[in-house]
Amino acid sequence: MSHGSRKLIVSGLARVEGEGALRVTVRDGQVEQAELNIYEPPRFFEAFLRGRSYTEPPDITSRICGICPVAYQTSACNAIEQACGAELDPPLAELRRLLYCGEWISSHALHIYLLHAPDFLGYPDAIALAREHRDIVERGLALKKAGNAVMEFLGGRAIHPVNVRVGGFYRVPGPSEFAPLADQLRRALELALDTARWVAAFDFPDLELRHDLLALHDPGRYPIERGTLATTGGLAFTPGEFPRHVTEQQVPHSTALHATLDGHQYLTGPLARYSLNSGSLPPAARQAAADAGLGPQCRNPFRSVVVRAVEIICAVEEALRIIDSYHRPDRPAVEVTPCAATGHGVSEAPRGLLYHRYELDGDGLIQSATIIPPTSQNLAVIEDDLRRVITAHLDLDDAKLTALCERAIRNHDPCISCAAHFLTLSMRRR
Amino acid sequence: MSDIDPTRGAVPVDAVRAVVIGVGNCYRRDDGIGPAAAAEIERQHLPGVRVVISDGEPAGLLEAWAGMDLAIVVDAVRCVPATPGRMHRWPARQLEGGWTASSHGLGIPDALDLGRALDRCPRRVVLFAVESADLRPGAGLSRAVATSLPDVVAAIATELRRAKVPPGRSGRP
Repeated sequence: MSHGSRKLIVSGLARVEGEGALRVTVRDGQVEQAELNIYEPPRFFEAFLRGRSYTEPPDITSRICGICPVAYQTSACNAIEQACGAELDPPLAELRRLLYCGEWISSHALHIYLLHAPDFLGYPDAIALAREHRDIVERGLALKKAGNAVMEFLGGRAIHPVNVRVGGFYRVPGPSEFAPLADQLRRALELALDTARWVAAFDFPDLELRHDLLALHDPGRYPIERGTLATTGGLAFTPGEFPRHVTEQQVPHSTALHATLDGHQYLTGPLARYSLNSGSLPPAARQAAADAGLGPQCRNPFRSVVVRAVEIICAVEEALRIIDSYHRPDRPAVEVTPCAATGHGVSEAPRGLLYHRYELDGDGLIQSATIIPPTSQNLAVIEDDLRRVITAHLDLDDAKLTALCERAIRNHDPCISCAAHFLTLSMRRR
Repeated sequence: MSDIDPTRGAVPVDAVRAVVIGVGNCYRRDDGIGPAAAAEIERQHLPGVRVVISDGEPAGLLEAWAGMDLAIVVDAVRCVPATPGRMHRWPARQLEGGWTASSHGLGIPDALDLGRALDRCPRRVVLFAVESADLRPGAGLSRAVATSLPDVVAAIATELRRAKVPPGRSGRP
């Protein structure tokens, strides 16, 4: 590689959700530009929610993403219930957490096995990995199936569940119905533990995140479906205060908005969740994290694959705990009476914090809606990661450097379909 | 991925020998042709035929078609230039990457390759791809693609008859 100006162009970023492009320009040994160009047209969900009933956002917004529909349903329900002053009965809140555990298991297993692991093992994709390590990929698919089983059981189907409503569910299962699912999850726990041991042995490039990390905090347990907000910088605030701290800006190179926290870049997602809540992991997940060499915090994005594996264990443990202590709720949903108010809802989608805000009128019609997905919040940090990775590896040839950039992006499991919606990678060096 | 209703009809699960998989998103206009065609097949209550709606995610496709004698996959395709509504029938061996309208990083060709690597493919896969006119957000097929729907459904039924799956209608109303 010369030290003059040159341009690298890579068309097509595989193994991320959506379409977009990465454009990187290196001039005279300095990274001049590292931009994720999101060119999927915005989906205008916030606009067409206006005028719809307060009961509709769980079903409408779940369509934003086929990978994390439960996250959209949950943040929407949380926001509307907060606006209307409704609080779920504790057993219903536990069922909501159980459904979300299914999504975590499914999404994380998909990302680890089919999208991320090939990066670490030197395979171009999961298909090549499967040809040589069939048993490993089968394990990932079995884990994903267990997560899907939770969503199908409780949500009616794995993609865009239909059993979720504001205030709870349309139907809740009887205790005896859980038996096959519990058996499947007990087997999944072993697979999840094997997964953590497997990914812990990967080779991780050095990279230390220097940004503030933002995640939910739910006292006494690992945050999934609810919580207040906390940062590694010591900031703590409620979901209702989210708009005062987090603001979105347009950037010229992307149809996805970029978010900042009190004016600075920040990261959400597994690294943030773990670093702020590792002490709240359930026992097996906590032990697996220790065995994998994770300290109380993890700031290397390449190690996010380990954190995801630990979070699968956490989700399976939590699912089993909820099933084991389950008593059928007295009612499938609490009554939610609409009122003129604004509600804010947050939850931890597999790839990061998901915020919803709805302003309702007295008839429960939505006057305005705001949805801030995790990938929008993380895009600026992903770009910063890329600048640092490229700067540290300018000695690599174009192909290797491009592959490393793709890895740096996949570390954050970006869902461009959520952020603006369709991604392609393009990388340039001069 | 979701079954429209896996328990519907008089056919026990172990008798199912063919699966019709409608791939797509009915909220992306013509990307909904796969689910629409699958729904029509489901309404015929064909014994021995399972009907599944999918977003094209490979793990789900493997789950849907593993062990089947025949998998018929119906999806929208983006062509330039396009003749919206025109249908293509492609056996699995002709499939190559790049044709799918899926918004995901992995598509049906990847699922086939992954299935082969894991020995989780059906004995035979046939894809019906329908050229799209409009893949923007929104419900409803374009006129050209909606017009093609009966022909697509008829082609699927013919394919099932050729494979002798099923032998006849279930007789359900």
